[in-house]
Amino acid sequence: MSTSSPSRFALVGREVARAVIALAIALLVALVVILATSADPAKAFSTLLTAPLSSNRTIGLWVDDVAKLTLTGLAFSLVFQAKQFSMGVQGQVYMGGLFAALVAMSPIGATPFAIPVAMAAAMCAGAVYGFMPGYAKARFGASEIVSSLMLNYIAILVVNYIIRAHLAPAGSGQLVTAKFPETAILPAIIPGTRFDLGIVIALAATVVVWFLLYRTNWGLKLRLVGHNAKFAEYSGIRSSFIMVSAMTLAGSFGGLLGAVFVQGRAFGNLAQNFDGNMAFEGILIAIVARNKPLAVPVVALAYGYLRQGAQLMGIRTDVPTEMISVVQAIIILLVASSFTLPGKKFIGRLMGRSQTATTAPEAAK
Amino acid sequence: MAPLLEAISIGKTYPGGTVANDGVNLTIQAGEVHAVVGENGAGKSTLMKILFGIEQHDRGELRLDGKPIRFANPREAIDNGIGMVFQHFSLVPSFSVYENVVLGSEPRNGIKFDRQKAIADVRALSEKFRLAVDPLPPVGQLPVGQQQRVEILKALYRDARILILDEPTAVLAPQEVEELFVAVRALVAQGRTVIFIAHKLPEVLEISDRITVMRAGKTVGSVNARDVTEDSLATMMVGREIALRVDRAGARGPLACEVKNLKIDAENGSTIAKDLSLKVHAGEILGLVGVEGNGQAELLETIAGLRPAADGVIALDGADLNDLSVLQRRQLGVASIPEDRIARGLATGASIAENLVATRLSDKRFVRNGLLDLKAIKANALALIEQFSVRAGGPNVAVGTLSGGNMQKIVVARELSEQPKLLLVNQPTRGVDLGATQFIWKSLTKARDGGAAVLLSSADLSELLALSDRLVVFYRGKIVAAFVNSDDLTAETLGTYMLGLNTQDPETMRAALQ
Repeated sequence: MSTSSPSRFALVGREVARAVIALAIALLVALVVILATSADPAKAFSTLLTAPLSSNRTIGLWVDDVAKLTLTGLAFSLVFQAKQFSMGVQGQVYMGGLFAALVAMSPIGATPFAIPVAMAAAMCAGAVYGFMPGYAKARFGASEIVSSLMLNYIAILVVNYIIRAHLAPAGSGQLVTAKFPETAILPAIIPGTRFDLGIVIALAATVVVWFLLYRTNWGLKLRLVGHNAKFAEYSGIRSSFIMVSAMTLAGSFGGLLGAVFVQGRAFGNLAQNFDGNMAFEGILIAIVARNKPLAVPVVALAYGYLRQGAQLMGIRTDVPTEMISVVQAIIILLVASSFTLPGKKFIGRLMGRSQTATTAPEAAK
Repeated sequence: MAPLLEAISIGKTYPGGTVANDGVNLTIQAGEVHAVVGENGAGKSTLMKILFGIEQHDRGELRLDGKPIRFANPREAIDNGIGMVFQHFSLVPSFSVYENVVLGSEPRNGIKFDRQKAIADVRALSEKFRLAVDPLPPVGQLPVGQQQRVEILKALYRDARILILDEPTAVLAPQEVEELFVAVRALVAQGRTVIFIAHKLPEVLEISDRITVMRAGKTVGSVNARDVTEDSLATMMVGREIALRVDRAGARGPLACEVKNLKIDAENGSTIAKDLSLKVHAGEILGLVGVEGNGQAELLETIAGLRPAADGVIALDGADLNDLSVLQRRQLGVASIPEDRIARGLATGASIAENLVATRLSDKRFVRNGLLDLKAIKANALALIEQFSVRAGGPNVAVGTLSGGNMQKIVVARELSEQPKLLLVNQPTRGVDLGATQFIWKSLTKARDGGAAVLLSSADLSELLALSDRLVVFYRGKIVAAFVNSDDLTAETLGTYMLGLNTQDPETMRAALQ
């Protein structure tokens, strides 16, 4: 038996090929849905494919999504690399958003320190919120999946309550705070659009996470714990410390995302249910990027484009809004499942047994 | 007369390009015991999987009774009279012996499962083929040797004419091996045919009529067992002369590690081992003998710090290890080669370089101010790959892509890259080919000569006898015998103690324990 050692380049190439094929299948299925529901399928499909580039405004929408998807993807990648399945990014986003808003609405909000201080506060809040399920797991053996999901609900409902009861302008009956001072809102890079500082923060965070994972002692330990916790224990690595610290750090990135949400051009205030469940899409990004931080923004770029295209298709064409959700779900399903399906042998068998036939689904995986 | 089963120029390439079989020829005559031998990765398992319908060949032809045939799945192979006993059994532990045997082909009484008939059938079968086993107790309560018989009965119940045994002796004590061979001879005497996959050459020579040797996915040749010797067979397998002999230790050094009255409990509170007392000196290898599951593995884990001691003392150079963490013990000079390299000894998804520094992440050479020195880590990997002649694409290759022998070399390289004071070794050459075995043995003796006190546990008695200076035998969590190794000490002698058939008088034991 020979063991071949594919070069790093070939490896990356194969991963990219997989992603592209999954994407193509997703688009094909989307096309079928559009053909079935639209009177003008050609227009609808071209909207899906081209709308995000149609104006500066739509580019801004796209880039704003990319920034947010990158940050949530990074937070999930960090915990996934340590093989911890904490689902707590959404809760961290809400806590981060709340604390960023509190800073922005305080006297500091009107000073040039508003943005950095609000972000630091958000990161601390997120870190605390990420630490809790980690500590519960290390100390009491509580499943981080359950505890982090429950903490999400607590965060969302508490923040929604605080907005309604205390932060919304009195007597307005609104479920959002007043606009933050301009000094507390991220400056736009293309004026008049949502193309703002958020993307820069996201890219900087990408580099930071990459550096931590691949250049520091802590990162190597974290990855070794993720690869094989029993091996880490045998090597003398304190895996519970690594576990808790990974979840805490990921929490700080979740908190940062909360600040980017509320201080971004899209909002500039704190609203109920502001994340629209986007925090969870980081799971998809992390899976497709194979938890590799440098791949996260690339995946976010492609996925964010399709996501925005689907939304614009819903606004600009006759494809029913329900179908938009269906198309989005199909894209998520195909892209995510093609990366994790254990049944590639089964698919290979379905496609026929010959050597040539098995290479195609192999590549699709 | 046409041979019973024939494989002609069989070829099998796995998706991903690994060529497992390339022009393999195998001719099985009815009523013979045919051994297939070869190093790990020679393609034996793939060939057997093809014969049993788990994998399909892409080139060549299979013939049964002279007629071409192809099995799409194991069901078809079974229907054609082929049975296989895997190294890892597929039994339901909570089911009784007879239930396991008939499972899937139960005798019926109308629509009801006819238990009485099933029990009677299993009794009859086990008498006919001299595979003594009580049909009634749950399989999970039986020793491994008996479980294996249940597997064989399962195949015979389905009327297997050809029985494939995949490394059947790997899990057995010497006496159990003898019993297995008695059963194999009874099978052949009644017209069945046995294909026997094996590693250990003395056993192969003892039991088989013909031997087919495989190397690197090809058949090297087929020979009559009485025409070859162990050495000539080993040379055929490896393709070059090989000597599995090591030098014993010279004079042993001062006392290094002492274990006193150690008691080890399982997580559920039951006692695994107690009253363990032993001494290891610098420069000697102490062999821990015993059927697996009698406490040897747990003793090594406890000394390494992976398992708490319930009671007793573990001292290294006079310092108590009990309250120290794994890392602190390692810093005192404890190194360990664990039983299962994939589950415990390596992070298979991480690179070779990362695996090689995993135990030294507080070493200033590799980590400063929390930052990795990637250059030093890479240089360390390159040096160790060279020094331990690991066959690998480079330091950044994931360990999981290496063969078993090369993976084990990575573990050994990491643990021995610095001279340890106390070396804990469990199953150093399990599933490792002869070439790598030779190399690993040399590495262990080199560490011993460098002054390490070595505790060695192995399921392979010949390995223990070849390497150890003294041996202690474990039975049911206790040390029941101790020996100073000599040429007069045989596997059979050890076997009687391993199975609890013999006891040693306390004086002799105490003398050999010093």
